[in-house]
Amino acid sequence: MTALKREIREIVREEPFMRGRILAVLAEGPHTVPEIAEAIGRPANEAMYWVMGMRRYGWVREVKEAAVDGYFRYQAVAREQRP
Amino acid sequence: MTDYDALVVGSGIAGMESALKLGDMGYKVLLVEKEASVGGRMILLSKVFPTLDCASCISTPKMAASIHHPNVTALTYTEVDGISRDGAGTFKATIRRKPRFVDEAACTGCQLCETACTVAVPDQFNADMVARRAAYIAFPQAVPKKAVLERAGTSPCTYTCPAGIKAHGYVSLIRSGEYEKAFQLVLEATPLVGTLGRACYAPCEGECARGSLEGTLPIRRLKRFAADRHYEAIDGPGVEVPPANGKGVAVVGSGPAGLTAAWQLARRGYRVKIFEAAPVAGGFLRLAIPAYRLPAEVVDHDISNVTAVGVEIATDSPVTDLEALRRDGFDAVLVATGTPLSTSLNVPGEKLDGVVSGLQFLRATRLGSAADLTSKRVVVVGGGNVAMDAARTAVRFNAAETTVAYRRGREEMPAHKAEIDDAERDRVRFLFQVGPVEVVGDAAGHVTGLRCQRMALGKPDASGRRRPEPIKGSEFVLLCDTVLVAIGMAPEGSAFGGRSASNTNGTLVADPRTLQTAVPHIFAAGDVATGASDITRAVGQGRRAAHMIDRWLKGEPLAGFEMDDVLPVADKTKVLARQTRYTHSTALDQATDTTAPRPDFAEIEAPMTEAEALAGSSDCLDCGVCSECQECVTACPSDAIHLDMREQIQEVSVGAVVVATGYKLFAADAKPEYGFGRYKNVITGMQMDRLLAPTRPYNTVLRPGDGKVPERIAFILCTGSRDETVGNPLCSRFCCMYSIKQNQLIMGALPLAEVTVHYMDIRAPGKRYDEFYEGAKSMGATYVKGRVAKITEKDDGNLVLRYEDIEHGGALVEAEYDMVVLAVGVQPNREVDRLFSGDDLALDAYDYVAEPNEDMDPGRTSIPGVFVAGAASGAKDITDSILHAGAAAAQVAAHLESLKVPA
Ligand SMILES: Cc1cc2nc3c(=O)[nH]c(=O)nc-3n(C[C@H](O)[C@H](O)[C@H](O)COP(=O)(O)OP(=O)(O)OC[C@H]3O[C@@H](n4cnc5c(N)ncnc54)[C@H](O)[C@@H]3O)c2cc1C
Ligand code: SF4
Ligand code: SF4
Repeated sequence: MTALKREIREIVREEPFMRGRILAVLAEGPHTVPEIAEAIGRPANEAMYWVMGMRRYGWVREVKEAAVDGYFRYQAVAREQRP
Repeated sequence: MTDYDALVVGSGIAGMESALKLGDMGYKVLLVEKEASVGGRMILLSKVFPTLDCASCISTPKMAASIHHPNVTALTYTEVDGISRDGAGTFKATIRRKPRFVDEAACTGCQLCETACTVAVPDQFNADMVARRAAYIAFPQAVPKKAVLERAGTSPCTYTCPAGIKAHGYVSLIRSGEYEKAFQLVLEATPLVGTLGRACYAPCEGECARGSLEGTLPIRRLKRFAADRHYEAIDGPGVEVPPANGKGVAVVGSGPAGLTAAWQLARRGYRVKIFEAAPVAGGFLRLAIPAYRLPAEVVDHDISNVTAVGVEIATDSPVTDLEALRRDGFDAVLVATGTPLSTSLNVPGEKLDGVVSGLQFLRATRLGSAADLTSKRVVVVGGGNVAMDAARTAVRFNAAETTVAYRRGREEMPAHKAEIDDAERDRVRFLFQVGPVEVVGDAAGHVTGLRCQRMALGKPDASGRRRPEPIKGSEFVLLCDTVLVAIGMAPEGSAFGGRSASNTNGTLVADPRTLQTAVPHIFAAGDVATGASDITRAVGQGRRAAHMIDRWLKGEPLAGFEMDDVLPVADKTKVLARQTRYTHSTALDQATDTTAPRPDFAEIEAPMTEAEALAGSSDCLDCGVCSECQECVTACPSDAIHLDMREQIQEVSVGAVVVATGYKLFAADAKPEYGFGRYKNVITGMQMDRLLAPTRPYNTVLRPGDGKVPERIAFILCTGSRDETVGNPLCSRFCCMYSIKQNQLIMGALPLAEVTVHYMDIRAPGKRYDEFYEGAKSMGATYVKGRVAKITEKDDGNLVLRYEDIEHGGALVEAEYDMVVLAVGVQPNREVDRLFSGDDLALDAYDYVAEPNEDMDPGRTSIPGVFVAGAASGAKDITDSILHAGAAAAQVAAHLESLKVPA
């Protein structure tokens, strides 16, 4: 976690680009943010921006049951259910 | 009489309160807010202390009232540029309505634009904790609930494209995985997507803001990527053919100008026929540009877009009589015949066998009839792009030696730099500052050499390049078998049939704006009108011609409008200043890899892989913010989005002014020992309020570093307040209280969480505030007295606080937390300084708006008739802001009434 944190604007800008990769990971089932981060090889704080941006615009949603080990899991929203 | 009795600047809780009170008293009020919604900071809060009322539930009624009150005119997304006092004790204000690019009346607030938008930026209304889009509605309870498009000008790449292609738009579509939409966006301008993806000299890349970082985006190759994907999957353009409008246009010439014009006209319902003299369509695309740069199949694919929308192309059909086309039933004619003639050397021996024009040579190559050059020594005369193409083609025909002779130096060469580099890589030899004086031949009339003289470079000429001047006695003969002449091009005039005037350089005389010639129904576009240029410029001319012909045929005037009415170009210095550090996702190498000359005419440049295209496009800085990708325009069911909206400046006269511009939050990174901005789980109080609000950025309170539900949360009070080290000795008055509120809310939302507050004193002086504090303690929050000296971040994102535990002997203690909240204080909003001209609005010692007689006369400022409400005059919580705003309203009323009393 000690690697230099990139600027928010730069991280956020990459959301559309990361979307495909994250959806590919979620195609295998719900994952936590650290799991997604590991699967795409990027820091968890960056994955957090992308997952939350995708959540806001209807690409993913959290699995309702409370967190496992303190983490929620996120799943892809089926295309026809997206706004 | 003034336009309004009062102008209220800022629509936070204080501004709304003053405006509504004045409105209720019967005064006409103009309420101006720079953001896209009224409501200020309060609407963004979770709940309010000490009542724990939901902030949005209690502020939305006031927000709605400010918009609907019969006496209040509320203008959002509007700035006050200046206020000055006039003679009569009233004020003139300049109001700038920023363009929303959304028709407020038509927008229903459905947010479909937002969902479709391809540009993600940090959401300032969520304290940068999540992304919003360039098209956005400020927040769910926004009033008015209308979208805006954030635009900071036209992105440099798009602005610079002579073809009018929305480069930033297709880059942002590609990074979103929308490859076909990227192709379609380019098609809006021209059918030549594959061609431009390869053979364009990419002026966009020369302007790309990333150019001053690690290098430009591969903008051209991204276009090629979109074209390759499209043509792999779809035959033709994939667009609908519009119904015929009954009119016909003849286009003479099938180069980029003619093809583009034909495409544009056919898509507007015209019957279009292209007459092409050559045996194949495409002009220079097929008969000059070598296949290793632009394969024939690519041009064919692009041309099939044009025929797919009904354009008929007749090859081997030279037009010799433009007038006859009119008789054949065409309502208008576009001449787009380019510059097929080569300028001659004008030296003795030019007729010898072995002297060929560069254009002829390239054309013969593409038609398969070029002479074999194996073992020949070839000299190419000229320094432009045609010379480079001719030389590199000669290399491919196995010439023993290929030399470019140019009369000036390398710096002065008109050829594109990449072309020169590629020619060098192809082992073309360059001889600079030499000019031909005679072609030398043998008895049989074959070329044996080129006599040249050396040149010195003198003063710059009209072109700005230094003029070559012959050096006496410097002549020498360059031995060779073939001379390729590529020193210039000119139009071929026979088709004009004397009906249209020509310039001395042979180009057709046409109005540079309308492209209309002296004969009204004849237009001219592309190189025939401009002189030799390049594909993008010709495409731009073709688009323009189609637009003008369409207007002319519809009987509309050709003057009084701008064809591409674009916003001014985004300022690259400002774009780059949006970040202090930049990283770069990939090191994309140039795909051209020609370490040795290729033996054939196979395409040199490798296509981009999907991964390369995504990575390359993801580096885009979104210079203009909105990319003009048009996704929102397509998505909007109400047709509310208009990228051509522009700002409007209004002058209004008002009787009094209320400054209610609120406060700024302390920038927490100014206390580096707390690590805000560096440590992933250190946030501000405002961010915690957002996490606790019903419209929160995450699904619950999570730490931003990795989405963990925090178990141990620390608060550090007085961050940036009561702190001389950051130049702010003042108490911010509400950070203790909002922290206590957040303590209670966290313990409600996360029953397992432990909350610890590090404080110096708790200031809870309002009604029921102390009881509220005691309540938090009894719920389990721990309050530890002592300043936090330093925070360090652990590998797992946890934070170790080092502090002095004053109540336990002052020992230095360390404690570990999942997350730290900095209870940041307030700072003055310095924007008020520039509101007034003529009179200075006095500020107090701490730069808040001064109330010279604060105790007895709250709300009055140093300027008669100007009042202040809320946190603009110093930190105030919501209750105090509302009280103060009420006082300001009463002051305004008293002032307005006093003006009515005769002196
Ligand atoms: C984290 C946090 C939590 C808080 N919680 C509470 C709480 O629970 N209870 C409580 O009582 N207080 C709370 N406060 C304090 C509260 O936010 C302020 O008391 C209140 O917002 C002050 O209102 P205002 O109208 O003076 O300023 P603001 O809310 O700042 O509004 C000013 C408005 O003016 C606009 N503006 C600025 N310049 C211009 C210009 N030149 N032209 C046009 N418009 C302009 C701004 O965009 C803004 O809309 C909290 C503050 C913070 C930071
Ligand atoms: S044109 Fe594209 S980038 Fe601009 S706001 Fe619309 S969707 Fe977003
Ligand atoms: S950074 Fe993006 S928007 Fe800016 S000039 Fe380059 S490609 Fe265009």
